[in-house]
Amino acid sequence: MKFIPILIQAGISGFESPAAEYKELGLSLDKLLISNPDATFFGLAQGESMVEAGIFDGDLLLVDRSEEVKDGDVIVANYNGCFTCKYIDKKYARLLSASPKYLPVSISPEDEFQLEGVVTCSFRLHRKLRELLACMH
Amino acid sequence: MYALVDAVSYYASAEKVFDPSIRNKPVVVLTNNDGCICAVDPIARKLGIPKFIPYFQIKNFLVKHNVVVRSSNYELYADLSERMMNVVGRFCDNQYVYSIDESFLHFKNYNSLIKDWHQYGHKIRRAVWRETRLPVGVGFGTTPTLAKAANHAAKKLDGYNGVAVINDDRSRKEILDKMSLTDVWGIGTKLGKRLNILGINTAWELANQSPKAMRSQFSVLVERTVNELNGIACLNWDEVRQDKKEIFSTRSFGQRVVDYNALKAAITSHGCIVARKVRKQRSLIKRLLVFASSSPHDDNYYKKSLIYEFPVATDNTLKIAAAISFIFDEIFLDGVNFYRCGAGAIELENCQFHQHDMFNVSVNNPELMQCYDHINNRYGNGVIEVAAAGQREKWEMRRSFLSPGYTSKWADIPKIIC
Repeated sequence: MKFIPILIQAGISGFESPAAEYKELGLSLDKLLISNPDATFFGLAQGESMVEAGIFDGDLLLVDRSEEVKDGDVIVANYNGCFTCKYIDKKYARLLSASPKYLPVSISPEDEFQLEGVVTCSFRLHRKLRELLACMH
Repeated sequence: MYALVDAVSYYASAEKVFDPSIRNKPVVVLTNNDGCICAVDPIARKLGIPKFIPYFQIKNFLVKHNVVVRSSNYELYADLSERMMNVVGRFCDNQYVYSIDESFLHFKNYNSLIKDWHQYGHKIRRAVWRETRLPVGVGFGTTPTLAKAANHAAKKLDGYNGVAVINDDRSRKEILDKMSLTDVWGIGTKLGKRLNILGINTAWELANQSPKAMRSQFSVLVERTVNELNGIACLNWDEVRQDKKEIFSTRSFGQRVVDYNALKAAITSHGCIVARKVRKQRSLIKRLLVFASSSPHDDNYYKKSLIYEFPVATDNTLKIAAAISFIFDEIFLDGVNFYRCGAGAIELENCQFHQHDMFNVSVNNPELMQCYDHINNRYGNGVIEVAAAGQREKWEMRRSFLSPGYTSKWADIPKIIC
């Protein structure tokens, strides 16, 4: 059986909102920022090597595994068993930091290396979030 | 054309997704309460570690070979399963999720679109690996049973490399010849032994039996299997999984229970789980089995089980908890170190074809149960619970080697070194 949703009005009814026609779904951060939910995960940045890219210790990272990796992207890689966030230098197979204090890292054949995904955005939490406090340490 | 896509030792592979430090290490996963090994990844398999062996028996061997041991992290497996199924589902408009890590695809009228099934299989594999970091095997066949056989070949036989296709007699013979009977979908160990007696040892030999003879000697199910092995599709999604005839929830305790209230809470909690599963398949419970026991290795082994029959079949958690409470005093015995308990719906009725009773009023409360299930689905199982199910701590599953809830708890999201 199919129901056709037409409202029948009877008795006292107020005035329909003049804005009703313009109502849309609310804004959702998920919808805006995550284009491939199945391939996306959250991570927590630890360390200071990407500060000039605007990524600070304790920032929240969104990593998308389905995005195509372009030269110079901020990426997450499995580098010798650790998730590592760096700029990727495809030409010279290097991981570059965004801080003068950290030297470029060349990826050698002996290294365990897998690209995990592209950091599509990062969040600075200007007020501490209770949910995340536990994982800051 | 049908395809079966499933993950390679799913639980173990899932453990590696967010823990890059164990990607190249042997990994095994333990069952509930860390009892047995239920998943062995390919690296650990090379060490000769069998499935379903009790953990304590092989503990020293695992330590010696630096095998990574994990408890079952169902929260993680459920999340990754959903992601994997979504990615696989992009490749076909007719997908049937068969289990946590397997899904069938049915390609109708795709022959003009897909010229090379091998290539298409590798495309699926690559996409799932790239987007979820789970390794999958893909088997194509002209029936679901052949797809399952091809999937077996893709993962277990040499030279297939993750994808196998059965689309003509040559490929069918090649694969079925190398498969033992019990690797055929629907042929269990017992049935396999009976067929062995008749001199049928491989899948190919089974395929060459007369379907009619198999039906008269065994069952209509074996007849169907033979037909399916010959490219005649007999199964469809509804038949692939029928409603369960019995639903049980039972488990051994993390540590022994002697307390009256603790045991009662544990049994009630199992009753609630059964009720939830019963509602999910839209059945009603007519008879409920409730039991508790000490360990068979104890002196004075104690076991008591009782059956409660509902006047009118029900799926109402509150009524089920009340029934358990009603018979519990007959099950509990002071001084027993209880090791195991559970509840099981042993007679179910279909919600849709439910026979109403003239003298007994239905005790169901579908609105309340729907609301109850909605809340637990939305906010996590156990968010609301009947009070009699108590608090979980004492008898909750032992999961000593549990990995973090990488995708389900904010406090556990993976750390990324900058």
